[in-house]
Amino acid sequence: MIVEGKLSARVAEIELLNPTLKRFRFVPEGGGTFPTSPPGAHVLVTLRDTDRVWQNAYSLVTPPDQRDHYAIIVRRVVESRGGSHFLHDMLKAGDAVELGVPASLFPIASRARKHILISGGIGVTPFLSYLPVLALRGANYELHQFCAGDEVETFRDLLGTDAAGVHVHSAGLGARPDLAALLADQPLGTHVYTCGPEGLMDAVEETARGLGWTPHAIHRESFGGAKGGEPFVVTLARSGRSIEVGASQTLLEALEGAGIEAPCLCRGGACGVCLLPVVEGLPDHRDHVLSDAEKSEGRLIATCVSRARSETLVLDF
Amino acid sequence: MGIHFKTDETFRDDFSYRNSDAAVLRFPFPFGEDTYRYSVNIEPHVKAGPSPAFEHAFDVDEHYVAECRERAIVLDHDPKRCQVLPHMMPAQWDTLELLMESLSTDYPEHFSLTRDGTAWHWINRPLNLDQRFVFGDASTLPCEPFEYITRQAQGDFTLQDQRDNNLYVDGGMVTTQADWSLEFDIGMSFHEWHGPVPLAHEIGVFDRALQYLLRLQYGHPVRRLNWTMTINPRLDTSPENYPDWGPDRTTLTAENIAGKLHLRVELQTLFRLPRSNAILFGIRCYLISLQDIERVKKWHKRLHRVLATLPPELVEYKGLIRFYDLLVSRLAAMDDGTPLSLGIQPDQTQLPA
Amino acid sequence: MSDQFIKSRPVYQSLAVDSSGLRHLLVSDSPAFSFAALPGQEAEIWFVAAPDQEGRTRPPEAGGGRCFRSPRHLIDRLDHRLARERMGLRLYASGTEDFLWDVFNTAQRAGMNKQEIFQCHSGTKARRVACVHCRTFNHAVTTTIVRCEGCGANLFVRDHFSRRLSAFMGVKVDAEVAGDVPPAEQAYS
Repeated sequence: MIVEGKLSARVAEIELLNPTLKRFRFVPEGGGTFPTSPPGAHVLVTLRDTDRVWQNAYSLVTPPDQRDHYAIIVRRVVESRGGSHFLHDMLKAGDAVELGVPASLFPIASRARKHILISGGIGVTPFLSYLPVLALRGANYELHQFCAGDEVETFRDLLGTDAAGVHVHSAGLGARPDLAALLADQPLGTHVYTCGPEGLMDAVEETARGLGWTPHAIHRESFGGAKGGEPFVVTLARSGRSIEVGASQTLLEALEGAGIEAPCLCRGGACGVCLLPVVEGLPDHRDHVLSDAEKSEGRLIATCVSRARSETLVLDF
Repeated sequence: MGIHFKTDETFRDDFSYRNSDAAVLRFPFPFGEDTYRYSVNIEPHVKAGPSPAFEHAFDVDEHYVAECRERAIVLDHDPKRCQVLPHMMPAQWDTLELLMESLSTDYPEHFSLTRDGTAWHWINRPLNLDQRFVFGDASTLPCEPFEYITRQAQGDFTLQDQRDNNLYVDGGMVTTQADWSLEFDIGMSFHEWHGPVPLAHEIGVFDRALQYLLRLQYGHPVRRLNWTMTINPRLDTSPENYPDWGPDRTTLTAENIAGKLHLRVELQTLFRLPRSNAILFGIRCYLISLQDIERVKKWHKRLHRVLATLPPELVEYKGLIRFYDLLVSRLAAMDDGTPLSLGIQPDQTQLPA
Repeated sequence: MSDQFIKSRPVYQSLAVDSSGLRHLLVSDSPAFSFAALPGQEAEIWFVAAPDQEGRTRPPEAGGGRCFRSPRHLIDRLDHRLARERMGLRLYASGTEDFLWDVFNTAQRAGMNKQEIFQCHSGTKARRVACVHCRTFNHAVTTTIVRCEGCGANLFVRDHFSRRLSAFMGVKVDAEVAGDVPPAEQAYS
């Protein structure tokens, strides 16, 4: 399949799942079907307001063979970078949106003999597309979803109340999930996948490593983890433009905010599409793409997550 | 307008394969410059380019029916030319879906696909096939899905599984190959199966290519051209059958080289597959005789310049040693040294008789 | 005649305990092996008896050292063991190249990944050679050219190695000009 440009879509339905969660269904503009989506894929959703553009990455919650529509579930966050607020408060059924081709950076491991999925809160979304696929393949799997007590019902409904191998755990304040109990005594060839708050993902990784699991058997969803830092100024060598990057925005967002179309795909430092050459300045690398050697050379920067250690950064762009 | 298929031509025994003039002019000539060196010469596989061979996801040409028959003959002798490791079943269905969708969209007069949920109906008119099956249920097809659909496509295909930050060649349909063995190489990592290629490892070509391919995105396939030379229009130059075709290399003479020697070009395409996250690697083989190359002035001169400056390691690796001097001196006689346009396009629209 | 530039040849290390694992199993195709276990790390050891034992095995030792009659005997038992193993195991193999990859393939079928398996080459460097034409395996090859036991072709032993077959590739050396066979040189022993 060759896709040139973006997928034109329309909002078909918006469903309120609970006070902070909404499910958005998109259908192809003018009918037809979307491309088969990879399990665990995310799409880049481009949203246009009168005076600005947001591009946010969301996991698709629809399985591969669901091609008449795509769906995402979005939590309205208080400290939103703008996207979730726009989706929740402005977007209406019938509105046009642009979608990127679904990208797979969190695939199901082909040779795994057992799959353990551990998610926290809205981090369950990529697993909603995993479950029908694993069930269809007759795979050996279990899913453990941790969420606040008042959301247990919501997630039980989403996951199917009686689905075999699916467990929704209430993780109230102070209650830490007993990950060691979940990961101990698993057969050879088990893989664990985790998506959710960084703390949960770190704990899953640490617990699995402590039980002798190797990195190849541990998979974590890596997009959307960008954190801020000291403000700095980026200069684009080809146009000579200088743009301020604020403490709470990414370099990529600052470029976009200045009306510059910079390359990007995953917006989480995983795919490498946004890499730009560095002419001057010290990058603060936060991506998963560049090797340690490439990072220390400092000739490329992943604009979607990385920042600068120096006060200014000059890019060949 | 449909393609006129040359249904009777052969790639063995009497070697009746010939290119029409149109097929010569659309040939994906691999040399855009006067010298050839290894590089990561990969570009987006968009439906456009300097040859019509680039205009579809999977190119179908006048040799389609004959090539599918040749594949069936090879598989009948040696079924292990098609093998897929057990964990690659999702990639098998991905391949079937990609090929059926692409062929029916790009060539609706020859192929049709209709779907009602998982009930699929496939019609292949050139091969006179009409198949109803359940997508996802291999028992409803005459053979496994990867073999089923690649028997109906030109060129070889391999499936690369992506895991542990590497690619593994974990399946393939390999009947028209330039001297590599699926039975020997299946299961190998990226660097292992490229092990025999000289020079490129040292300059980091495979390290960079692997990093690039690990990030290959769904919906955005890429392509490159590769080449070698083959005596007679023989598609199956496998290591398995080398005792049968190896002697051909000693049969070239000044009198027969133009008709017997063929430039063999592979249009290699790489597609990320959705369900499996595997990569489908298409290796579409095109053959053109030296005498047809000589009908295109630019290609004739360029081929001379490329061969005359080819590093000796590549002359050996590509199996050209036995006829290299004969070939280069023949080509040199008609190369006046005038500058040639960059790029692979033929720069002429008619061929001399 | 040589094609030593080929990059599919595995590179082996000496064996040391990977302390990220919880349990450690060393398998060796001979009683002679070198394994640097960390103090406090207990490793279970399986090995193949020397050929002069002619099928005798010693009784299992208290420390878990187990003796097997042949590499085949050991690998069959390993297959059974791994089917019941849990995550956290590290597997170490010491021996000839074909043994190392037979062990690796057994472990991979059981779900282990390459980060959980370590290999150290010891003993003969004689090669298992797969004839690419007739698919016969020629064992204990020590020369650059070998006559295939299956089809009779004189095979040049390429440096191209298949981990799945645990064998090197043999290609007919005089396919282009019949009888043009260079002298075989002693190269792998």
